[in-house]
Amino acid sequence: MPVIELTNVSKSYNRGKVKAVDGLTLTVKPGEIFGFLGPNGAGKTTTIKMLVGLLRPDAGRIVVEGFDVAKDPLKAKQVTTYVPDYPAVYERLTGLEYLNFMGDVYGVPKAERLERIGKWLEIFELAPVVTNPIQSYSHGMKQKIVLTAALLPAPRVMVLDEPLVGLDPRAAHQLKEMFREHCDQGKTLFFSTHIMEVAEKLCDRIGIIHKGRLVACGTMEELQALDKTEQSLEGIFLELTEK
Amino acid sequence: MSKLSRLATVIRAGLRSNFGLATLKHRLFKEKKDRWLVPLFGLAAVGVLPTLYGIVLLIKAAYLMLQPMGQERAILTLGLLAGQLLILLFGIYYIISAFYFSRDLEMLIPLPLRPSEVMISKFAVIMINEYLTVAAVVLPVVITFGVMAKGRVGYWVNTVLVYAALPIIPLAIVSVLVVAMMRFINVSRKKDILILVGSIVLIAASLFLQVGLGQSRGPQANPEAIAAFFTSPDSLLNRVGSKFPPSVWATKAVAGGFSGEGLANLALLLGVSLAFFAGIVVMSEKLFYRGLVGLGETTGKKRRLTRDEMSRRVSSGRRAGAAVFAREWRIMNRTPIFLLNGVLVVIIVPVIFVLMATMGSGKGGSGGGSDLSAILNTMTSTNPLYVILAAALFMTICGSLNGTSSSTFSREGAQFWISRVIPVAPREQAAAKFLHSYLIAMLGVVTASVVAAIILHLKAVHLAAAAGLALVVGVLLTAVGMIIDLARPLLDWTNPQKAIKQNLNVLLALLADIGILTAAFFGVRALIRAKLAANVVMGVLFVGLAAFAALSYRILLKFADKRYPEIET
Repeated sequence: MPVIELTNVSKSYNRGKVKAVDGLTLTVKPGEIFGFLGPNGAGKTTTIKMLVGLLRPDAGRIVVEGFDVAKDPLKAKQVTTYVPDYPAVYERLTGLEYLNFMGDVYGVPKAERLERIGKWLEIFELAPVVTNPIQSYSHGMKQKIVLTAALLPAPRVMVLDEPLVGLDPRAAHQLKEMFREHCDQGKTLFFSTHIMEVAEKLCDRIGIIHKGRLVACGTMEELQALDKTEQSLEGIFLELTEK
Repeated sequence: MSKLSRLATVIRAGLRSNFGLATLKHRLFKEKKDRWLVPLFGLAAVGVLPTLYGIVLLIKAAYLMLQPMGQERAILTLGLLAGQLLILLFGIYYIISAFYFSRDLEMLIPLPLRPSEVMISKFAVIMINEYLTVAAVVLPVVITFGVMAKGRVGYWVNTVLVYAALPIIPLAIVSVLVVAMMRFINVSRKKDILILVGSIVLIAASLFLQVGLGQSRGPQANPEAIAAFFTSPDSLLNRVGSKFPPSVWATKAVAGGFSGEGLANLALLLGVSLAFFAGIVVMSEKLFYRGLVGLGETTGKKRRLTRDEMSRRVSSGRRAGAAVFAREWRIMNRTPIFLLNGVLVVIIVPVIFVLMATMGSGKGGSGGGSDLSAILNTMTSTNPLYVILAAALFMTICGSLNGTSSSTFSREGAQFWISRVIPVAPREQAAAKFLHSYLIAMLGVVTASVVAAIILHLKAVHLAAAAGLALVVGVLLTAVGMIIDLARPLLDWTNPQKAIKQNLNVLLALLADIGILTAAFFGVRALIRAKLAANVVMGVLFVGLAAFAALSYRILLKFADKRYPEIET
């Protein structure tokens, strides 16, 4: 059974004048890292925001872990965490207060909290500043605290919008390791990116969206077969999104 | 691009971004949202008309009283002076926040603009804000006066010019103080304290000016002095304006029209305003950016927690509602603009009432508010109901008429996405937010009760009844304020000031509160006219308000469930 299921999902802005997502259908299986690619303005962020319940689709259905996002939002949210493309977090809270808040609302038991907070703060090198207000963090540090908060509930599904932007090479490397580790436990990861190399090496399957429509979806081999070439993902992407 | 057109571009961009004209146009005409606001504002404007009419009648009466003594121009001075004082006081907030805390500065500074150009664009935005702020005080005065005095073209032309120049001198004074302070005190790590201190200075200054003006209101108390005072034309004008001469120049410029005196004073006012303006432009070139060094930086010490410390500080898990409440509490108290307009205002307003009552009792007064308490005692002896209602109204004003509830969703700003994605039911989040806003309202009721007990010497039973009533009204007004904010939360702010002080929802909620209190007033009047006993009136009022309070709370929770998913971030 798919973990994420989008069926004929559409969304437009300006009273239907601008179609951001147009009849999108795709599924993501358990344990999969799904990369979502597309040029600027193709509909990636709109899709992701609908997936986590921040936007309501005009038409179609989105199901996460068997829960309809529109009809059963709390159950869907309980199994999903989200990292936005820009880390807008509570600047007046300390990093630890923010993590405690997220732990409380997702109901993470103390022992697990301690273990996961300790682990991720060390990996992201946030341990020495965790009691400082988030206001004093750099952009990358804010990104890391949002990532730590998203990892804290050990969610079944993680949805990330451009998670590698703003991270230093070490943190980006560790995050990619975490992606694999997370999915090896049977959990699912859905993320958008502009970095073709990352998508090519890391993702089990890739979806390419262009002008609101899914123009290709599959494993790297399937995409190459579709294109009837041995091109790199970059080549395929450029060809599919040319028009 | 010439220097002037570049400056015009920066000013235009500043005005557009500050007043959200493009967003408003987009919402009204493209997305066709917010259209319901247009008739609502029309309705609010009609609602304000009776009050405005009352003010005009008052000015007219004062004019007719002072005119035979040749003192009528003092009315103009008083109006213009009040306007300039308001500009001065609001200016402190506006300038600190616009010059140093608005996030667009980080975008403007790297542009090839002179510091003075950036500052002038900020100054222009504040000027517009000030014109809107003081319109309610100054315009009724100058217009009524002009009509009464049958002002000619000169009067009206000079009025426009004086109104245009009115904010410059007070704003320039505040700018000098603020820019100098930012330059010479290292504030990069103490921004929050600066706003708090600045605001406390503001309150102290407003009280100081009030005392100062109160003392300059009349001549010395002996018959000859009074006679001499009133026989010399404009003596009252000069006395009222003695603390702030530009208000005297403004008065003489307006009232004098195109006469020699009018033009001379107009030239004086415009000349001095221009000189002040030029002064701050020069100063900004030298000092503005230096104060901005480290603007966006807040530093914290790096310290790793020990295992034990970490174990203590990692929460063992509280309920989701409690976590939302704790978040509200912390963010409110740690954001100076929010703290001042929420928690501090409910403490400060009653204290100001105490000070005003104390001053009102005069030098020979036998303790604070003795006159007031004497009046209240007389009223109590006839009908204690009035005292309870008056005290309840006072407590309600102190506790509930602030922007806490009507900005509760707006205050989340760009972070609202977090509330949308967490697995906590919107009604549970709204309930936690309600509790937070209501606790602040309760704090105001408690402070006001203490003030009422000490200053007005209210009997315990009357005090308890009034507090009970105010607490019930507090539920209603808090819920209504939150519903209004939830209907159209202002989330796209870059300066926290916008979320609470320049938030239309706060104004709409205030109008709604006044409407509710007016409706309650008419309800009580009908009950009294029906010759019901005081206890019965109180009982009916209490039960009626409690029913509305419960209903409004239920509506709030239902509305949260409906509205949260609709708010797209």
